[in-house]
Amino acid sequence: MSESASVCVLDDVAWQEVTAATMGAAAPCFQCGVCTAVCPWGLVQKEPVSIRRLIRMAQLRVDGWGEAIWLCTTCGLCEARCPRGVPVSEIILALRRLAWERRAAPKGLPTMLWAIHWDGNPWDQPPSQRQAWAKGLDLKPFAVGDDLLLYVGCTAAYDRRSQRIARSLVTLLRSAGVSFGILPDEPCCGESVRMVGQEAYLAELVEGNARRFKEAGVRTLVTVSPHCLDMFRTQYPSWDGFRPLHYTEYLAELLDGGRLSFARELPVTVTYHDPCYLGRRHGIYDPPRKLLAAIPGLTLVELPSSREDALCCGGGGGRMWLETHAGERFADLRVREAQGTGAEWLVTSCPFCILCLEDSAKVLGSEQLKVVDVTELAVRALGDGR
Amino acid sequence: MKPLGIIVCVKVVPKPEEVSVNPETRTLDRAKARSELNPPDMNAIEMALALRERYGGSVSLLSMGPPFAAPYLQVGLAMGADHAYLLSDRLFGGADTLPTSFALARGIQKIGEWDLVLCGEESSDGATGQVPAGIAEWLDCSQATYAMDLALLPDGRLRAEREIRGGHEVIAVSLPAVVSVKLGVNEPRFMDMELRRTAPAVTVWNASDLGVDPASLGFEGSPTVVGAVWQAKSPERRREFLDGTLQEKARLLAERIRALVSF
Amino acid sequence: MIPPAYAPDEARGLWVFLEQEGGQLEGVALELLGKGRELARARGILLTGLLLGHGVEAGARQAIAHGADHVVVAEDPLLAAYTTDAYTNVSARIILERKPETLLLGATPNGRDLAGRLAVRLRTGLTADCTGLAWEEGTGLLLGEVTGFGGGVMASIKCARHRPQMATVRPGIFPLPPSDPDHAGRIESVAVSLEAGEIRTQILERVRHAGVDITRASVIVAGGRGVKGDFGPVTELARLLGGEVGASRVACDLGWIGRDHQIGQTGFVTRPKVALVCGISGATQFSVGVKDAGLIVAINSDPEAPIFEEADVCVVDDLFPVLEALIAELKRRRP
Repeated sequence: MSESASVCVLDDVAWQEVTAATMGAAAPCFQCGVCTAVCPWGLVQKEPVSIRRLIRMAQLRVDGWGEAIWLCTTCGLCEARCPRGVPVSEIILALRRLAWERRAAPKGLPTMLWAIHWDGNPWDQPPSQRQAWAKGLDLKPFAVGDDLLLYVGCTAAYDRRSQRIARSLVTLLRSAGVSFGILPDEPCCGESVRMVGQEAYLAELVEGNARRFKEAGVRTLVTVSPHCLDMFRTQYPSWDGFRPLHYTEYLAELLDGGRLSFARELPVTVTYHDPCYLGRRHGIYDPPRKLLAAIPGLTLVELPSSREDALCCGGGGGRMWLETHAGERFADLRVREAQGTGAEWLVTSCPFCILCLEDSAKVLGSEQLKVVDVTELAVRALGDGR
Repeated sequence: MKPLGIIVCVKVVPKPEEVSVNPETRTLDRAKARSELNPPDMNAIEMALALRERYGGSVSLLSMGPPFAAPYLQVGLAMGADHAYLLSDRLFGGADTLPTSFALARGIQKIGEWDLVLCGEESSDGATGQVPAGIAEWLDCSQATYAMDLALLPDGRLRAEREIRGGHEVIAVSLPAVVSVKLGVNEPRFMDMELRRTAPAVTVWNASDLGVDPASLGFEGSPTVVGAVWQAKSPERRREFLDGTLQEKARLLAERIRALVSF
Repeated sequence: MIPPAYAPDEARGLWVFLEQEGGQLEGVALELLGKGRELARARGILLTGLLLGHGVEAGARQAIAHGADHVVVAEDPLLAAYTTDAYTNVSARIILERKPETLLLGATPNGRDLAGRLAVRLRTGLTADCTGLAWEEGTGLLLGEVTGFGGGVMASIKCARHRPQMATVRPGIFPLPPSDPDHAGRIESVAVSLEAGEIRTQILERVRHAGVDITRASVIVAGGRGVKGDFGPVTELARLLGGEVGASRVACDLGWIGRDHQIGQTGFVTRPKVALVCGISGATQFSVGVKDAGLIVAINSDPEAPIFEEADVCVVDDLFPVLEALIAELKRRRP
């Protein structure tokens, strides 16, 4: 989106709405433009998305931000670099909320929301199939006294590729002797609802879900997806003992406690992609690396951009529900980076990242480079024939 | 142009893939099925709201079903409909399309002022598509089925683009009219949570409220009866998995196809 | 009960509504004559075609050649193109006078538009979208086999005390009967009393989309989500095989291809000799539309896709390379 293409229309209503929606979050911005400079869209489009300009418009409370607000993957790179600590993603989500009020949300998003409303998942899949991923695993419903509730999440529950992550995680938890259960009729955490700017509907979802988790006696809750983790940590009310963890954190604890170990040697070179919602959002950089380091024979090489600087896969911020044109996918760049490291496997720990990276690896014809989740690699290293 | 009084007929249906046949009792097992507003009815609601935005007027929802349907009508109110009416009575139960269209037509008359009735093209459970035309006949008004687009003409008639076999036609019909809306012609807007909080209550009417002879309602008033129900089973297929290189697979595929068709 | 327009013991004969376009009978009308012939012969009753239109003599002869014993023709300029009022009024008048026992109609948009309206006018029962028709043992009532709930549930429906017992059937359910130019039958013209004022519909414009009729195709190459918006190779393969392009609902929803191509419960039911199903996972919604295909070939990269449970030949591989190789192979071996 070029700057000149945006039209500024000053009007009183917009002024008030933008102020209310962003709660003045844009105020500290002094327009240095670092955000625009680091935004990954600049890597794939001729004109970068001018975050600086969007923030300026939010400051001035003017309308006319157009389509640009829907491109943001909420990767948080700009926020990590912002000298003034402006919560850019929050401002973008607030502008998205205003766009709904103006009936200017992109096509396809209402359909995704309806899928959550009617089916309890954004993938438009039948609720009765929610447990299909666990076929043959003989999982128990969560009961008070279990070590943890395994929160699978919509993507790992329904997407065939991602189901393998959830199944691998089950194998790992069992090998460590962890007692765990799942929620029958597991609800959608609402991440996609939040990302598309439907805050009011999110409040309704979160309220109902939190009550269910609390009533079920959930304390430690382990998620497959970093996006669900972010929801439980930042959007859900806390209650006594409620401890949402990403599986990489929990498995790393098991390693430390000596309950989980890898006996089988895997003489491979791997590289690790930091999911935005695990790394930059929650500072979880070391647990996945610790798991990889515990696998005998495995060599980890870092990507050119990693940890705080990691490039986004393109799947966050609701972008899973919007079309990203070929040639504009961040994951293509990430796969090329991974190829450059000489690694055989590109490892990550988020279903959205897996889907985006694997798609790009397919499109780029990258036969040598396999995209796998940490759990899938770890299961291979268990070394008891599993 | 005068504002439009629009009534949208909607149905609460079980999600189709969640309904099965109990092999012992040979009856439908809907107990585990979640329900939803019939998908084409959602398109009809969206079309009604878009027409109201364009021409002014009001949108009322009308449904026939058990009391549990009321919260589903509230979903339609949260989309922006002004009123919702539910025809609910044991006497309505077991109805085929004749008494269903009759009861809905009586409900429409009881609502009163209206110019246009919109329905989804068919329900995902029964899938007959007969009710809209039936309502039009009971009300003795014009109809346009399988509509993809609607507008008012300067002379006050309704312009409807509708599907015909292998194409489409544009017709003008006089109002009042009953229209069935094609599945997927628009993207139904999501609920507005503010409206969800402030939506009016659903008005519930029973058979005596409609003032009709119970013998013309429900199972009693249905000319058709369901003889037997069974689970659909697809014929056994060979399930031959082809192996080999791409070229080998392609060669085997071509062989299998050539055995059946010449081209 | 809602009183019937006439009693079962007054009713005679099996009637088929002959939908026509420009004087030519629609395929589904011929299919219904084929099935109607079989049903009429089983009970030794007459098969009558009901033909409304303007300039439809050729259609009446076509109906006789396809098995009708008798064709009732109502000709009027106001019947040239279908409108609800004209067709309902004229059909209802003839039916109330002749009192057929059974009336079958094609479940095309106009066929359903008419059937739904006529059934209420005649205060009778209508069984929609039958996938099978038979006489019930003993009673001789028409049993309509229907699917519901997305094709997962089947039921048989009958209409005991109201006449005519009406049913609609989708195009492609019954095979096209052979034409027999020597088959004898009677064409009867009936007087039409129709006033322009009875018709509340004015046709402003009609557009027939050229070429696509997937219900008649002997080969269908169907694409779904897996084609990722590119119907190019699917179309090329269909053309090479002399077939038509089909699509899953998702592909149509995404706007990749027109609704005329949509196969399944909410689309068209097809009966090709060969269906190549490319990048479609095979939800019931889709598979009901190809279940009668002679051969189902499934190409999908997901080995666990349900479509493989319903296919004769299964290829687990990436779609585009397979299509490319198959197209090359077919071109290479082309005589």
